[in-house]
Amino acid sequence: MVQLRPRASRAPASASAMVDEGQPASEEAEHGLLLGQPSSGAAAEPLEEDGDGDDDLDDEAPEELTFASAQAEARAEERRVRETARRDKTLLKEKRKRREELFIEQKKRKLLPDTVLQKLTTASQTNIKKSPGKLKEDKSQKKNEECEKGNESKKVKEKIQSIGQNKSYLARRLKDQDLRDSRQQAAKAFIQNSLYGPGTNRTTGTQKKQNAKRFKRRWMVRKMKTSKK
Amino acid sequence: MGEFKVHRVRFFNYVPSGIRCVAYNNQSNRLAVSRTDGTVEIYNLSANYFQEKFFPGHESRATEALCWAKGQRLFSAGLNGEIIEYDLQALDIKYSMDAFGGPIWSMAASPSGSQLLVGCEDGSVKLFQINPDKIQFERNFDRQKSRILSLSWHPSGTHIAAGSIDYISVFDIKSGSAVHKMLVDRQYMGVSKRKCIIWGVAFLSDGTVISVDSAGKVQFWDSATGTLVKTHLVANADVQSIAVSDQEDSFVVGTAEGTVFHFQLVSVTSNSSEKQWVRTKPFQHHTHDVRTVAHSPTALISGGTDTHLVIRPLMEKVEVKNYDAALRKITFPHRRLISCSKKRQLLLFQFSHHLDLWRLGSTVATGGKTSGKFLVPGKHGDTLPLSKDADHLLQLKTKGPENIICSCVSPCGSWIAYSTASRFFLRRLNYEHDNLSLHRVSKMPACLRSAVQIMFSEDSTKLFVASNQGSLHILRLLEGSFKHLHTFQAQSGTVESMCLLAVSPDGNWLAASGTSAGVHVYSVKRLKIFEYSIPDKQYTEWSRAIQKQGFHHHWLQRDTPITHIGFHPKRPAHILLHDAYMFCIIDKSLPLPNDKTLLYNPLPPTNESDVIRRRTAHAFKISKKYKPLLFMDLLDEGTLVAVERPLDDIIAQLPPPIKKKKFGT
Repeated sequence: MVQLRPRASRAPASASAMVDEGQPASEEAEHGLLLGQPSSGAAAEPLEEDGDGDDDLDDEAPEELTFASAQAEARAEERRVRETARRDKTLLKEKRKRREELFIEQKKRKLLPDTVLQKLTTASQTNIKKSPGKLKEDKSQKKNEECEKGNESKKVKEKIQSIGQNKSYLARRLKDQDLRDSRQQAAKAFIQNSLYGPGTNRTTGTQKKQNAKRFKRRWMVRKMKTSKK
Repeated sequence: MGEFKVHRVRFFNYVPSGIRCVAYNNQSNRLAVSRTDGTVEIYNLSANYFQEKFFPGHESRATEALCWAKGQRLFSAGLNGEIIEYDLQALDIKYSMDAFGGPIWSMAASPSGSQLLVGCEDGSVKLFQINPDKIQFERNFDRQKSRILSLSWHPSGTHIAAGSIDYISVFDIKSGSAVHKMLVDRQYMGVSKRKCIIWGVAFLSDGTVISVDSAGKVQFWDSATGTLVKTHLVANADVQSIAVSDQEDSFVVGTAEGTVFHFQLVSVTSNSSEKQWVRTKPFQHHTHDVRTVAHSPTALISGGTDTHLVIRPLMEKVEVKNYDAALRKITFPHRRLISCSKKRQLLLFQFSHHLDLWRLGSTVATGGKTSGKFLVPGKHGDTLPLSKDADHLLQLKTKGPENIICSCVSPCGSWIAYSTASRFFLRRLNYEHDNLSLHRVSKMPACLRSAVQIMFSEDSTKLFVASNQGSLHILRLLEGSFKHLHTFQAQSGTVESMCLLAVSPDGNWLAASGTSAGVHVYSVKRLKIFEYSIPDKQYTEWSRAIQKQGFHHHWLQRDTPITHIGFHPKRPAHILLHDAYMFCIIDKSLPLPNDKTLLYNPLPPTNESDVIRRRTAHAFKISKKYKPLLFMDLLDEGTLVAVERPLDDIIAQLPPPIKKKKFGT
């Protein structure tokens, strides 16, 4: 990036040298006074022509800038840029770190305490068959409630085989039971719909009576009409 | 015989549940019937169609399929996704196994009886092996797109036909893959938007698959090529069931309009060998959907939403053309649902999930006016108005999904006992100045789990319970509790059958059918009455005389079993019994009727002379006045109570039938 400088002074060549700026600069020189500051990207070289033509204050001889100073400036510039970038990066990193920690904490809160987890892993290793169909849903809910009280968490939906030797209860995934119930409901709805739903030609006793009344009325009307004729 | 005041009760709002499946077992000539509330009943067709066993219902057990397998084993499957095997000896459920395919819609046992096939909601067909103690899952067949609603095995056991929605698949058993997929038209010659549901399929040994669907068609398919051979349009509504006879020369289909059609294989011309299927006979015995049919060697059996079980013997198959070959319609259960407390004039009604206790109304007038509830034949046929209406005293509801099996109220009216499949309940009632309070008697003994029959002794001090393990328990009832007195164990493995009959008035003896613990043995289902007197320990003279002379032929032709027997305490010579259509008082002192006299003998006209009246009088006094009769008993010296259940009241509470066009409506 090149800073704008008055025309009189000589702008140092910046890191990003603009090759084609040379030409407009020379054009400017030809136009003389009309041309104001050189364009921002102009790597204005010291223009001897300028000094020759004008005697104004603006047309002083460009300052003498040593290369070293310019270089130092450029380096400072770079450093500044780099530092801002680093600062941004670190800030972002910290943010991410903090977020991760927060997530880990939340996850920890969700899981069971270690003791129960241990028991589960050992129980899953032992070979206990799950007895089919003989479980009570309220028992599984009770187990969940116990766990809830233990660590103030939401309902646990872990598949638990019977723990230890006592098979007095058996827990089941509540999601499975819901699925079963919903399937059963769907099946019942299907049969209700296919036998008694729309499109079937069903009638109740009251409907029959209403139809009969209507028919009778219409028949009487028709009879009156024909008898009148 | 005497005159009686009759309490005519019509407020027992009993509605039987509709029949969902029937399964006929050829070897034992028994019929298994399952109802929509989960009850499964077993009828013995050779013993005058008597309902010999039943398994109480359960709210979660909605059966969709029922079948017999080898060795008299009964299986059912339902919408809860489980296959249940029934223990016919212990009258219990042996086990239930989850098929893990969702709700089960159909089930079929292989022709050999050793394998079981179920069709599930998710479109899978699962094969189970029937082991001596349990069934075991073998494998899955190719999964189909929609639910499998009907299954049928080829008689050789190599292929099966599965009916689904809009198509039928034929599977090969060995590979488990679908060999053919036959698409079914949604409507015969027309356009219909509704899906075509294949309600039933049957696989014949020549490779023909017969399908019945919801568009009202019966179609014949060739399973070798997978093509349609013939279509019969039989109804405007669904055809919901099909059953083929063992010889494969006839089959029966049931429709949603209540009609049952019989198809037979007849030769094209009189002497040609070519045969074709022809629709021969329509039967209209039902008012609502016929959801299931069965074909026994001699009869067509159908049942449906209108709760009747209709058994129609086929005339050409029946050898002896007697009264047996007539239509049988079984509507009411063969077990007792009502018990009566004579002292307090109470009736206990048993429903599937609750009990109702009513006090009978009373009258003081002796004039003549009709009313709905109270009928008094003061001048033989007069009715009297009620001065006090019948009172609904109590409603006891059971918790849980199980149905009530049996119930009883004690003659003094202070005890109510009832039982479900897993528990036994005893309640004590206290009457204080028109108030009724109920107390629960807790801590029943562990041996009393579920009772098949319950009976109180006449003086209400003892309670007799017949459990389903075959043992008979006697409990002594005290003021607020009970004491277990004695248990008669099962006699050589027999299980109590359904009829536990009355206790004799002095309370010392108990009549029970099926065991030898009691002394009076009445084997009523065989239409014979034995009277076994205690002091003599031999058949009394009277019953011997009956055996010798034989029963009147009309008596033997009664088609409904005797549901209840009562005794007149003051006149030991009278026996009162009733079945669904009549009640009868047998007077042992009068001569027995011979075949020539009229059995049904209403009161003879008064202008006849005394001599003739005496001549025509005989022991069996039958009245057909109150029907259909659910219960009848003697309240006291001159009063009878009769509980009727008119069929119209039941029909009014059933689900709607298909609309039928009738002339003039």
